[in-house]
Amino acid sequence: MFLDLTEEQKLIQETARNFARSELEPLAAKLDREGDRPAFLANLKKLAELGFMGLNVQGEYGGSEAGVVAFSVAMTEIARACASTAVTVSVNNMVCEVIQTIGSQEQKEKYIPLICSGAYAAGSFALTETGAGSDPAGMTTTAVLDGDSWVLNGSKIFITSAPYAGVFVVWAVTDREAPKGKGISCFLVEQGTPGLVIGKQEEKTGQHASATNELVFDNCRIPKDALMGKLNDGFRIAVAELGGGRIGIGSLALGVGLAAMDYATRYSTERVQFGQKISSFQAIQWKIADSYTELEAARLLLMSAAFRKESGRPFAKEASMAKLFATEAANRACYNAVQMLGGYGYTADFPVERYARDVRITSIYEGTSEIQRVIIAREILKNFS
Amino acid sequence: MKILVCIKQVPDMESRFRPNGDKTWYDESDLAFRMNEYDEYAVEQAVQLKEQLGGEPEITVLSIGPERTVEAIKKALAMGGDRAVHIRDDRYYQKDPWQIASMIASYAKGESFDLIFTGMQSQDRGSAQVGVIVAELLGLSCATTLVGFSYDGGTVTVKRELEGGIKGVAKLKLPALVTCQLGLNTPRYPTLPNIMKAKKKEIAALTPAELSGEAELTATAAIYPPAKKGGGLVLEGEIGAQVDRLMGILKEKTAVLR
Amino acid sequence: MKALLIGEYRQGKLLDTTYELKAFADRLGADSVMLLVGSDAELPKCDSKVYLADAAKYGEYNPDLHKQLVLQAVEKENPDCIVFVHSSYGWDLAPRVAVALKAGQVSEIVALNEGAYEVNACNAKLRRTVTPKSGRCVLTIQAGAFSPTGEPQGAPQLERLDLSGTASAIEFVGYEAAEQKGVDLSKAEIIVSAGRGVGKKDNVPVIAALASALGGELGASRPVVDAGWVDHSHQVGTTGQTVSPKLYVACGISGAIQHLAGMKKADFIVAINKDKDAPIGEIADVLVVADVMQFVPAFTAKCAR
Ligand SMILES: Cc1cc2nc3c(=O)[nH]c(=O)nc-3n(C[C@H](O)[C@H](O)[C@H](O)COP(=O)(O)OP(=O)(O)OC[C@H]3O[C@@H](n4cnc5c(N)ncnc54)[C@H](O)[C@@H]3O)c2cc1C
Ligand SMILES: Cc1cc2nc3c(=O)[nH]c(=O)nc-3n(C[C@H](O)[C@H](O)[C@H](O)COP(=O)(O)OP(=O)(O)OC[C@H]3O[C@@H](n4cnc5c(N)ncnc54)[C@H](O)[C@@H]3O)c2cc1C
Ligand SMILES: Cc1cc2nc3c(=O)[nH]c(=O)nc-3n(C[C@H](O)[C@H](O)[C@H](O)COP(=O)(O)OP(=O)(O)OC[C@H]3O[C@@H](n4cnc5c(N)ncnc54)[C@H](O)[C@@H]3O)c2cc1C
Repeated sequence: MFLDLTEEQKLIQETARNFARSELEPLAAKLDREGDRPAFLANLKKLAELGFMGLNVQGEYGGSEAGVVAFSVAMTEIARACASTAVTVSVNNMVCEVIQTIGSQEQKEKYIPLICSGAYAAGSFALTETGAGSDPAGMTTTAVLDGDSWVLNGSKIFITSAPYAGVFVVWAVTDREAPKGKGISCFLVEQGTPGLVIGKQEEKTGQHASATNELVFDNCRIPKDALMGKLNDGFRIAVAELGGGRIGIGSLALGVGLAAMDYATRYSTERVQFGQKISSFQAIQWKIADSYTELEAARLLLMSAAFRKESGRPFAKEASMAKLFATEAANRACYNAVQMLGGYGYTADFPVERYARDVRITSIYEGTSEIQRVIIAREILKNFS
Repeated sequence: MKILVCIKQVPDMESRFRPNGDKTWYDESDLAFRMNEYDEYAVEQAVQLKEQLGGEPEITVLSIGPERTVEAIKKALAMGGDRAVHIRDDRYYQKDPWQIASMIASYAKGESFDLIFTGMQSQDRGSAQVGVIVAELLGLSCATTLVGFSYDGGTVTVKRELEGGIKGVAKLKLPALVTCQLGLNTPRYPTLPNIMKAKKKEIAALTPAELSGEAELTATAAIYPPAKKGGGLVLEGEIGAQVDRLMGILKEKTAVLR
Repeated sequence: MKALLIGEYRQGKLLDTTYELKAFADRLGADSVMLLVGSDAELPKCDSKVYLADAAKYGEYNPDLHKQLVLQAVEKENPDCIVFVHSSYGWDLAPRVAVALKAGQVSEIVALNEGAYEVNACNAKLRRTVTPKSGRCVLTIQAGAFSPTGEPQGAPQLERLDLSGTASAIEFVGYEAAEQKGVDLSKAEIIVSAGRGVGKKDNVPVIAALASALGGELGASRPVVDAGWVDHSHQVGTTGQTVSPKLYVACGISGAIQHLAGMKKADFIVAINKDKDAPIGEIADVLVVADVMQFVPAFTAKCAR
């Protein structure tokens, strides 16, 4: 057994870390508080130029061919500095991978390079609807073939990157009569298509720089060949691709958790109460011990899921386990970090307050913790029936 | 044109260092290693020259060190090196600059490089000798501590950094060797596709035995932490208390705060 | 024991560090002779023998020719060691002489330890003692490490050195003056300097605010200047300005020798560093172990009051 990263993975980690420290971290607090979209997008462009938007994508489409483990470690390093940037990078990678997996040759050649090169600031993944969150198969957005085009009607909610995405992967019902989940197809919709309206931007607890918007399809007409993959086979694809995305979100959470604990631990060696450094109190030591142990366990689960995906083995259960554990562990780590800073941890003068807000969503999007448990249990129970 | 860039892998200088078992070097077991900072400028300058010359020059990267050194080599290849030579030597740290330079020269002798780039010094040993010794052994013209480099038709114009912010400008004809100072350029981040492509680039492995068998001219007798100078006061603890104490000290000990 | 000391001229002036060579030789207990590529107009004050070659003919920087001049003096004097200052001149020339003589070189000696040479390793976090294994050796000494005890005096016994030819592979074009000084730190009474530890350009104003709250000037370490966060005229150190304020506050500066060389004459030194073991602690009167971005604003607020 060999648990070390390869030299390439280490170099990717180093590039991600150096970039994150010198370009992302200095901007993170400002993006959180006041926002600066041009600066945010400029960093995304630089990350694209370095090859971070298509880590697991083939070179012929402009990807880096670096694999899933490299994707995971890169996400962690980016998230240590800026979770908003990290989630955008994660979704971009997921969008590239969906297109690579089910797109036609023309679709792959057209869209993947635009995302990988940074010509598009982002790609969006539009699945969730107001009535269909944990249960996306319950969606009601429809696509109807009309001559040479599909006509989309309905709306999506909580769509990451919508205002600056160049292209959207959109799921819609194409067969209303089919059993639930069997009549959904997947489409590519370009930004600016008439009838595609970018709705209101949500005001969120954290990850402020990353825009999350409503999408409205009002007789939105797209070409017939904008269908991606097989007709009525879209839902299976969405489920499969979310598995990869979960590795990204788990890795992101790990990065935020580590940033919080690193900060709080250093603080505990400086802060004096009762005449001693608070790090000398067992109550603080146990928080340090527990959180780092959990984060290390999270890292190993993520590595294992990433390695399985990279080796072409089934990984859905492992990705769900890793996402469930990493995001919950990171939430606990951020909770502990705030606690270790006492009242200061609750103020914007210290970054742990931002980490605690940024990390909260990780156990909700790309499948809530509850849904991860549903998946994990289902996969396990399969072997017992 | 054939270019050689010599690089070294060194520990992150923010680490905590302790002497090893026989007190001749630092203990490496818990350190993170990276490319010597000065060498990053050397690699970058070589790659910029290659770009200036339309990609014609071939850049060979050379490093001496144990297995882990391959990571630094691959970084240099990802930044734009074409091929590499790894002189695999687990006992590299016991060799003095003369022996290290002799190995490099003995490899380079047969290769007739036109231009060699090295860092001005390594961050751990800091001897600032290896580059110059290589140049002398190979009979190359040489300039050290570059903060400016330009190349035109067989002549290199260098800007050397002198004390007090003054620079010295000099011209050298190829073949030449230059040693690079911090700030010479802005070393690029290796891109991910280039990191992956570097995997396919040749890394030739050599052993010290195939190169020079020179004996050492200097030896490390001992390595140890510097004796702590007493007197200096260390203020730890809480910010508010630190602020108050420092303020008190400055009022008492200096005339600058009334 | 006999030492051949290689002095330095720059722009027609004999550099003061030349006297440190003599101080070092005295500490070694060695007899010394000196070699200079300079001019009669600027001769060192000392009683020993000085070989003088004409800088007008051999240049102030021409390592090929200077090497041959050194070798000639070695031939005549048969010294046990040849000593340079570890400077842009010394580290450039010394290894060339060492190779020609196949002598071991010990670089940047900071102290003598029972006859052995002490040098720094790992950014001064460790010390090494180095012993030459060759009969004759080449040494370079850290600038400032061996200070002359008294005022230099005396008149040297001059002996001229010349080479038969002046062909060289290197052509010295000239000096480029230091960039126009935006600030003259040399007269500042208080300097507050920013190092790489301040993290980013946006944080520099926080350090500058402390400087102005104290009524002082902003200084910087080299990486901060190289990164373009602060103009070069603020750089303190060997390749920046040498300063001697009443108070020097080093914020997020590790204390590399090249930085210390520029500020260690300050009357009172305060360092703010998150690393308790940072070498700056060696010379600081007070080391505040803290995050600069937390400590400095708090301290500035206090000063402003
Ligand atoms: C910032 C942000 C960005 C997002 N980005 C995207 C995006 O880019 N693309 C996209 O398509 N979507 C995106 N989403 C949507 C996200 O994936 C959903 O919010 C998530 O799947 C949960 O759905 P919901 O909000 O409708 O919650 P609900 O499904 O209403 O869940 C509410 C609660 O009920 C629980 N619950 C539901 N069903 C079960 C069950 N069967 N068993 C046990 N418990 C259950 C849930 O776990 C949760 O605790 C984003 C959301 C946010 C907040
Ligand atoms: C929004 C807000 C409103 C507030 N309002 C008021 C107010 O109106 N009036 C007022 O007086 N104060 C107020 N406070 C201050 C608040 O009561 C303190 O923040 C709180 O008591 C914790 O102190 P601290 O922040 O200094 O943390 P610290 O005391 O530094 O604690 C840091 C960490 O060390 C732990 N710790 C400390 N000592 C020990 C020990 N002996 N054993 C084990 N663990 C230990 C703590 O539990 C904590 O996890 C307010 C604070 C906030 C953030
Ligand atoms: C020939 C030559 C000439 C040179 N000339 C000069 C010169 O003139 N001037 C000069 O300065 N350098 C010069 N250098 C460079 C010198 O060797 C060092 O590299 C440089 O001084 C290091 O600068 P620094 O201390 O700011 O950075 P670093 O060495 O990287 O140190 C940063 C320090 O900040 C601390 N730190 C990090 N984060 C924080 C935080 N949040 N809070 C508190 N502390 C923190 C770290 O613990 C560390 O000690 C020269 C080098 C050479 C070879």
